This record gives sequence, structure tokens and C-alpha cells, in this order.
Amino acid sequence: MLDFFTIFSKGGIVLWCFQGAGVTESFTGPVNALIRSVILQERSGNNSYTHEALSLKYKLDNEFELIFVVGFQKILTLTYVDKFIDDVQLHFRDRYKNELEQKGSLKLLNNSFEFGNEFKMLLREAEASGKAKSPAPMRSFKESEKSQKTVKSMIETKGGDKGKEQSGKKNKNTKKDEAAKGDQVKAPPTVQKVTVENGNQGLTADEIMLKKREEFFRKHMAAPPEKTSKSPKPQKPREKPRRVWDISGKSGKSTKTLDYSDSRNGEDSTNEGEPNQDGTLPESMPGELLPVECDSSDEDDIVEEEDGEVAVVGNTSSISSKKAGGFGGMFGMLKGLVGSKNLTQADMEPVLDKMRDHLIGTSSAKGSICDFILGEAEMYTFTALSVASTVKQALQDSLVQILQPKRRVDILRDVMDAQIQRRPFVITFCGVNGVGKSTNLAKISFWLIENGFTVLIAACDTFRAGAVEQLRTHQRRLNSLHPPEKHGGRPVVQLYEKGYGKDAAGIAMEAIAYARNQSFDVVLVDTAGRMQDNAPLMTALAKLIAVNMPDLVLFVGEALVGNEAVDQLVKFNQALADHSMSDKPRLIDGIVLTKFDTIDDKVGAAISMTYITGQPIVFVGTGQTYNDLRSLNARAVVSALMKA
Amino acid sequence: MEKDANNPFEPYMETLRQQLEDQDPVFLIGIIVALAVVVITLFLKYFLTSKTVCSAVLLVGLCDSGKTLLFSRLLSGNYKRTQTSITDSSAPYKAKNDKGSTWTLIDLPGHDSLRPQYLEKFKSAARAIVFVVDSAIFQKEVRDVAEFLYVLLTDTVICRNTPLLLVACNKQDITMAKSAKLIQQQLEKELNTLRVTRSAALSSQDGSVGGSLFLGKKGKDFEFSQLPMKVEFVECSARGSKGEDGAADTESLELSLAKL
Repeated sequence: MLDFFTIFSKGGIVLWCFQGAGVTESFTGPVNALIRSVILQERSGNNSYTHEALSLKYKLDNEFELIFVVGFQKILTLTYVDKFIDDVQLHFRDRYKNELEQKGSLKLLNNSFEFGNEFKMLLREAEASGKAKSPAPMRSFKESEKSQKTVKSMIETKGGDKGKEQSGKKNKNTKKDEAAKGDQVKAPPTVQKVTVENGNQGLTADEIMLKKREEFFRKHMAAPPEKTSKSPKPQKPREKPRRVWDISGKSGKSTKTLDYSDSRNGEDSTNEGEPNQDGTLPESMPGELLPVECDSSDEDDIVEEEDGEVAVVGNTSSISSKKAGGFGGMFGMLKGLVGSKNLTQADMEPVLDKMRDHLIGTSSAKGSICDFILGEAEMYTFTALSVASTVKQALQDSLVQILQPKRRVDILRDVMDAQIQRRPFVITFCGVNGVGKSTNLAKISFWLIENGFTVLIAACDTFRAGAVEQLRTHQRRLNSLHPPEKHGGRPVVQLYEKGYGKDAAGIAMEAIAYARNQSFDVVLVDTAGRMQDNAPLMTALAKLIAVNMPDLVLFVGEALVGNEAVDQLVKFNQALADHSMSDKPRLIDGIVLTKFDTIDDKVGAAISMTYITGQPIVFVGTGQTYNDLRSLNARAVVSALMKA
Repeated sequence: MEKDANNPFEPYMETLRQQLEDQDPVFLIGIIVALAVVVITLFLKYFLTSKTVCSAVLLVGLCDSGKTLLFSRLLSGNYKRTQTSITDSSAPYKAKNDKGSTWTLIDLPGHDSLRPQYLEKFKSAARAIVFVVDSAIFQKEVRDVAEFLYVLLTDTVICRNTPLLLVACNKQDITMAKSAKLIQQQLEKELNTLRVTRSAALSSQDGSVGGSLFLGKKGKDFEFSQLPMKVEFVECSARGSKGEDGAADTESLELSLAKL
């Protein structure tokens, strides 16, 4: 049934492997894919993974630094696999404890671990147990507990159901299940009463129903048992109370004023704080703009919703004070835990909760971070006194690992490559409204010009008022900073625009063709900002990217964004994947993190964005002038994040 | 004349002796114990540091270049199946030279997200670095290889210690494998371009500049001989030409390691 089973060390040496009968392909490929995508990216939420036709389950053993992986066909559903892995792990550990405890890998290399026989035995056991569980047969009435109760016991009396002892009944009840739960309420204290065997059958169906109803109401009364009357009547049907919605309950407004069903005879009812009902036109907005009305509850710091999403609303000062207190308090608590040899998951829970709160305070997205925090807890077993420093170090390493780019990030080198191939290097900027796409586009073109490349800016934002003029102004400024005379007589920056209202994808295609003809080195495509929920605009963006196949698709996100980043990135990636025609859709290749100077140490957005997409942060925008463009330093960001 | 030389010291010795005798014996013992502790500490420090500093040989390289198999072959000669490493492995290695010196052989994971942190941990202890390159798919990976090599060569700690850099062109048993000479030429060309783009790269947001060190000599094309550390190119095959049961073809590598 199993395709393969491997046991290998974290250092990469395979200690023992088993390949199922008739399986010819090597399993190295799928297991490597498992390691890279799951273990290294710290997504240890569930322990299974699918790779083509195979389904893989794994288990980490952190004490001896081993990994156990089992693979089987995806279409099979084997129920015994989880327990099987656990059994194998225990047996392997017990058998080879001595060799595994050695420091250094020599023993691992020199030993050949003969585990085949034990494995076969365990596999047989597991398969047998999987088959043996046939569905339990239904109990006959005689065996059930109900038949053993008396009629009298089910009618409740005043002192009736005080005793919860079911000692007599328990001897008879060999099966514990949901019936027992109900019995606790109904259990007759009078055990010594002779139970009439078939007492129930003497009653008619109606009386049985009545009895059942009594028990039901009694259970749900939640009143002290003494209060229950002899035969409780069902509750009086009350009138349905009028619903009062909190949101609508603004001061001064009442439901009466919102009730428009009465006919008004032309008299203006002037209540305070109520919108005008006389015939003023809606379009004119005389005088100052009215501010947006906010609920007073928005002043609180962090409102946590039911489904785990955290909306960071409100003053940064309150957040920072909460953060400062929380973290110091957490480590103080950790310092209290001294001397425990091996911390279990339960011990870690309060610590992890506090850490979670701290990271939320720095505007990381809660859901994504928690997965890997708990993953980290699995990866390390703690042995010594300095729990606080171990936890901190582990977390720091893990965060740095997330922020490290998984591929080479060197834009200048790639532009040079494209130059050699005589084609322009196309970079597309996408993002929601107002994050700084046009500004950072200008900064990046400045940087490219400084390094001797020629840039064509494609104004594909055909919607926002003044977008094209903004880019034209940038072009003029950049050309004055680097006059054409110094660069061989041709202007270093040119703008390709077709005005407003046209199709963005068409403009982009023409711009790239123009750049190829005029041998520009880089094309920067500026798109309009759009909300991730706006389906037609997302379709348009996906079409632009799918049709033009840019070399780099950069998502521009601001560092202040908080939990929204997760939603934005997920939806953008989803839209790009859905609307592309090919098998390998172009997704977001990199992230530009803007407005980094506005946050001091609340750098959690960087972590959230990188974790969600797995793509590196290519640029960091730290201001509004041309020079304010930086690259990301993972260590500095993480140390700023962990500053307690 | 000797007597004259000794005479000036005599009175000093006398006074010293008298002073020592005047002192409380407990006080004297305290001073002696303190001196002994200091001496022993210095002794131990000298011994320990001279043992651990620069006594490791690191196996680095891109993912899937064959480091872990090479590790296994060098240590025990056995062929072992391997998977992607996620932590380092280390073991003592006995060199095949007359002196029989031993040092630690450390195999670092090659995956992009783990590489920097393990390099940070072990680079100060490196006496030699074996940079393993997959010769068969070198053409596709040349830019990644060059970038990693650039990071190694411009690292301040490595530049200070100047360990021996052995570029091991692995997987020579595959027919399409490139020779060491070709790999050297390609890397030189690539590093030539890379040093220009890296020094022009953006500084990171706290002000520290990335590539501050310029490799080689300005104005001339980059060559490995321009570096302060010694760079050697060797060919090897961890799998061996005869497959799993045969011996590995790592003789030139072992010879170079023996010269350490």
C-alpha cells in the first residue's frame, strides 16, 4: 500500500528507506520538494503534503534530529498512516538510541540501520488494525440502558434528581457514550428501587413523549434542582422582544425618526443630528467637508474578531505602550521558568500567546505568524535554564529565515542580461490605491539612470486624474538631473503615454514594442491602484500581465498596512492565477515596501508579506525624494522587531 | 664586578623579603591563589583558542550540488542516499598525509534561506572552504554560483582569515560535466560583471552598504589570482564512475586537503 518510507537525519543522510513493491521511481524528488516547501517555509500546520500523484506525511523528531516521511498514492485513503508513523518513530528511537545520541555524524555514516524486519511487522499490525474496525453493531433494546430504568425514576419528584450517583447503573452499563451524558441528569437516586424491567412499555406513546419533554425542559432550565416543580410546564410563549441594534443607536436618534411610513404634510421635522429631509440637492457640498463619523469604540487599541483576524485600529501610542509592557512581562514570566529539563507544548502555550500578542502589536498578521511560531516550538526542545534567550534566539533565526530571499535578487544583473539579449527589461508595479507606486517608480528609475541605463516609463494608469502629468513631471526632473548631453545625446527617461480612458494592456504592449525599437534598457509600467475586491479591475490587471509577460511583477505595499496586507496579497495572487491562460501563471515576483520611514519599529508588515507570498522584498522606500530607496536588511529588521 | 652588579639588588631583595615575612600568611596565600587562577585561565584560553580557531573545513555550495554525499565519502567512503539538508553535520576528519592531522569537516546546508545563517555561524572557524559546484548544470546556474562565491569572497571575516578556497567541480561522472578550467573561466567572467553591479547596489535601510569590498584590481579583468586568498580548482565525483558500489573519485580533493 505504501509507496515508500524513509528515515533521514536533518543533516541529509538517509538512515533507512523502504520502497514498496512495484514502485520504480526514486522518492528523492518528492521528499526534497516536501522539505523545501513545507519544512523550510515553516508551514507546519498539517503534516501532509501532496506532490503530483503522491501524498506525503511526515513527522519530525527534534530530539535526535530525524525526519520520518511516508508516501503513498493520493487516491488511496489510508487511515492507519498517522498512528503508523508514530509507532515507527518510537520503535526506531528505542532500538537505535545509542547510535543516535552521539554528537557528530560519524556513527550515522558508519552504521547501517537494519530496520527492515521490525518495519514489516509494524506495517502488518497497522494494516490489520485498519481492517479490523468493523462498524459496531447496534445494541438491542434489552442491552440499552433505557430498559433498565423504571418509569417512576423518569418522573421527577421534588428531591428527585439530586443524586448523581449511578453506581448501580454503572455496573450494568458496559458501554459509555452519549446516553450516559443524558443519564446523569435523569439518573434516579433511588437505586434500591426495584427496577421494573419493561416498565416503559406499559405506557402509551403519548405519555412517553410527555415524559421526554419534561426531561428536556428540566435539562434546559438551568435552575437549581430544588426549584423544579413536580411537572414543569413548557415555557409560556413570550412576545418576541423588539431587536435593538447597537450600531444604529446613535445619540439622539430613535426608531421613530427613521420611520418614514407616516405621511408628512410638508412640515419639516428638525431633529438634531438627522440628515436633511427638505429638498436640498445631494450634489452640492457647501463649505467644509464633513469629517467621517466614527464610532467611539474605535479609540480602543486592538479589536479582536471572532475568526481570528486582527484589525489594528487606533492610536499608535496606545499600541506601543501595550507592546512595551507585554513583552517585558513575557520575558519576566519566562525567567520564572527555570530549571525545567524539557519543555512541552503545554508549557510553551502561555509564552507563545504572549509572543503572539507582541507580534500583533507590531502589526504583523496574526494568522500567518502563529503557524510558524508553533512550528518553531516543535522544532526545538529546550533543555536548560535560559529559556528566554533560547526562545528569543529561535524566533529570531526563524524570522530571519523567512525574510531571506529564496532566490537571487539582483536587478542590475538581470537588466544587463536583457541588454545582451537586445530586449527591454519590463517591470510592472501593481498595488492598491495610494501606496506609492508612482513615487517609487520615479525613485527606481532614478537609481537605474544613475547606473547608466535608459528608461521608458509607460503610463498605464489611465484612470486617476493627473497620473500622466505626474509622470511627465518626474520625467522632466530626471532629465534635468541627467541631461542628454552627458549620456550620448539621447534623453535617459522617456514617457510613453496615450492619455486617459484607454485600455492599459494595449498601452503597455505598444510601449514595450516602442522600447524594443528604440533600444531602451528598462520599461517601467505604472498601473492604476485598485482594491483587491474589485473583480473587474483585477481582471484587467491580470490581463495586462498575462498579455505582456513582464520580467518582474512587483507588488507595492505600504509598511503601515497591518493585517490588510495578507488579504491584498492573497487576492492579487489569486486574480493573477485565475485569469492567466497558461499553465504556469505569472504571479507576484517581488514586493516593494513603501513608507518605511513612517514606522519606527512596527515592521511586522514585512514579515507578513514575505510569509504569505514567499517572495523577497526587493526595494524599501524610506522617504519621498529620489534618494530614499533602500534594500532590505533582514537582520536589522528582525532585531528592530524583537526589541523588547 | 659581579659583586657590584649584585649589590644594588641585594638591599631591594632584603626589603622585599622582610616585607613578605611581615605580612599575614593568609593574605599571602590569597595573593598566591589569585595569581595561580589568573595564570591557569590564560593558559587554558591559549590552549583552547589555538585548538578551535581555524580548525574546520567547510563544505558549502548551492542546493543539490552533492555536498552531503561528498561529506559521507570523505569520512567513511560509503555511498549513502541523501536528501536536502536542513541543518549542518560535522565530524572529525583524519587527513591522508604523513602528519596525520585531524580537523573537523562541516557540511552546511545549501538551501537559499538557510545558507546565510549557517555561514555566519561557522565562517570564523574556517581553515579551508570547499565550494562544491555541480558541473553538469553549471551553465544554467552560473549566476547563482557566482553570487554565492561573491558573498564568500567579500565577507570581512573570510578576508581577514584568508582560508584556502577549494572549488570542487563535482558530478564529473556525468558526461555533460564541464571541466574545471571552463568553470574557472566562466566564473571569472561572471564575477567581473557582478562586482560592478554589486557595488552599485542599494544600501540597506540602516545605512550599511552592501558590497564595500571591490574584488580584485580595478581597471583589469577579474582573475582569481588577484585575490588575497589561495583559490584552487579541482575535479571530483562523489558518486564515482562505477555507481553506488564503486569508490568515489575524490583523490585530487583528498590530496589538496592533505596539504593543509
